[in-house]
Amino acid sequence: MTRFEGSANLALIWTIAVVGLVVIYAPPFYLVAISLNPALQPGLPSLSDLSLIWYFKLASERGLLAALTQSALVAALTALIATGLSLLAALGHQELRQGRSAWFMTVILPMFVPGVIQGLALSVIFTRIGIKPSVLTVTAGHLLWAMPFAFIVILTSMSGVRRSWLLAAADLGAGWGRRFFDVTLPLILPGLISALLFAFLLSLNEFARAFYLVGRQNTLPIEMFGKMNSGANPTIYALSGAIFAVSILCVGLIVARQARLR
Amino acid sequence: MMSRASFLVTLPLLAILSIGLVPLVTILAWSFWTWDPDTYWIKPDPSLAGYTAILAAGRWTVLLSTLHKAMLAAVLCLVAAYPLAYAIHFLAGRRMKLLLMAAITIPFFTSYLIRAFSWRLVLGRTGPVNTLLVDSDLVAEPLDWLLFSDFAVMVGLVASYMPFAAFPLLLAMRRVEPSFLAAAQDLGAGFWHIVRTILVPLTRSGLFAGFLFVFVMVVGSSTEVQMLGGAGASIVSVMVNDVMRVANFPLAFAISTVVLVVLFSLVLLGNWAFRLSRLFEDAAS
Repeated sequence: MTRFEGSANLALIWTIAVVGLVVIYAPPFYLVAISLNPALQPGLPSLSDLSLIWYFKLASERGLLAALTQSALVAALTALIATGLSLLAALGHQELRQGRSAWFMTVILPMFVPGVIQGLALSVIFTRIGIKPSVLTVTAGHLLWAMPFAFIVILTSMSGVRRSWLLAAADLGAGWGRRFFDVTLPLILPGLISALLFAFLLSLNEFARAFYLVGRQNTLPIEMFGKMNSGANPTIYALSGAIFAVSILCVGLIVARQARLR
Repeated sequence: MMSRASFLVTLPLLAILSIGLVPLVTILAWSFWTWDPDTYWIKPDPSLAGYTAILAAGRWTVLLSTLHKAMLAAVLCLVAAYPLAYAIHFLAGRRMKLLLMAAITIPFFTSYLIRAFSWRLVLGRTGPVNTLLVDSDLVAEPLDWLLFSDFAVMVGLVASYMPFAAFPLLLAMRRVEPSFLAAAQDLGAGFWHIVRTILVPLTRSGLFAGFLFVFVMVVGSSTEVQMLGGAGASIVSVMVNDVMRVANFPLAFAISTVVLVVLFSLVLLGNWAFRLSRLFEDAAS
């Protein structure tokens, strides 16, 4: 079948699309490749010298591991709270008649606040009212960044809940709570899990928002930023590569799962 | 009695107000206070010192160059993302569509820091781009302006924020009635004619939203400039960090206020003109 675009235009469209994707993906994949190079100087490894030596060396990087633990803790807290709040926000969105769009924008808008400004504003408020920087203050900074994404994912999964099913359940005498737990919840469970994972990754990788909110223990991106600027050691490549690979794997799994459900 | 909807939204609303709105409104108010050298903090004497300091010593040039970077990056992202969205929606087969959808979703959830850092390795003097250029005799010496330059920052920004343009474009294309394109084709319109007279007008809201999202993200960005910019390169968020290093609170708050006012007016204006919330809600249904 020939398409109406014509082969020259098709070639142009695909070329730009592919160049766009290469710009997004080639550098981080290059980073992953050099993390497998045992040499100290960054460069592509030859296939015969592929090595995981820098990944093993990570085990002795105390500072990075402590930061990783801190980040994992913040990310887990952020994921749980953001998903819980977004679930309430999405259920409320369904119930609202008037003001639906306004509520939608209210949840989405914090995404557009620059990270540095949000972090700075929170940190001066916390300092003034005497809250010491901790895991919780960083979580507060990450929460509103993760919520819009979790909210959209949960809303999307709620569109799979047919109104007629809820009405049928109501006709059979199920109250709101019963309808939620027996009809809605099982149907949106995959969406909730996606929201959890997305929020976890957003928090794990967030850099600017945490900058003013961390206490004595840095989060991973802040610790890595310091190391990247003070003569990067190849373990940084390994850690970056590992984090990048895990992020891709998680999102890839979610997308693949959603495709199977369609 | 409280309605069920207001009961459900109470907690999320409280969170958004307490850790979102209240801190921002507070620093807005504090931007009009006076720096107090005795306490290293501010005191409630009304003052515009923070705002006049923006006008001094090359600070407003950073604001201008931020706007310039944001606009250029937004246009470049749209130019790259429009064909990408077109290919995903109109050209790709089932499997390919899935793969490409994953490819534009993943970047939202990967580290901007790691991605900017990886450009540093790619564009450096001994990096693969320079090696390729020198080996193929295109240049005699490795190019120094590839890294730690405005060029590198722009490349990093486009690579970071292109998905923010691709998504709304894709959503807008999904709303284009395919029979319109087919009808135009039957009437003998060529591809570019169809793009110009049907596709672009029908995807206007996506183009606008894509521009706006990239613009807003770039205005708020800091990582790309910190990682890839040359000596003295700045952008508002980096300027805020610099100002905070000397604890100049009124100035930092004044800059933040200006940025927030600009960004929120743009987003709310865009929402009013193009019903951005509808574009999103389509995605969620």
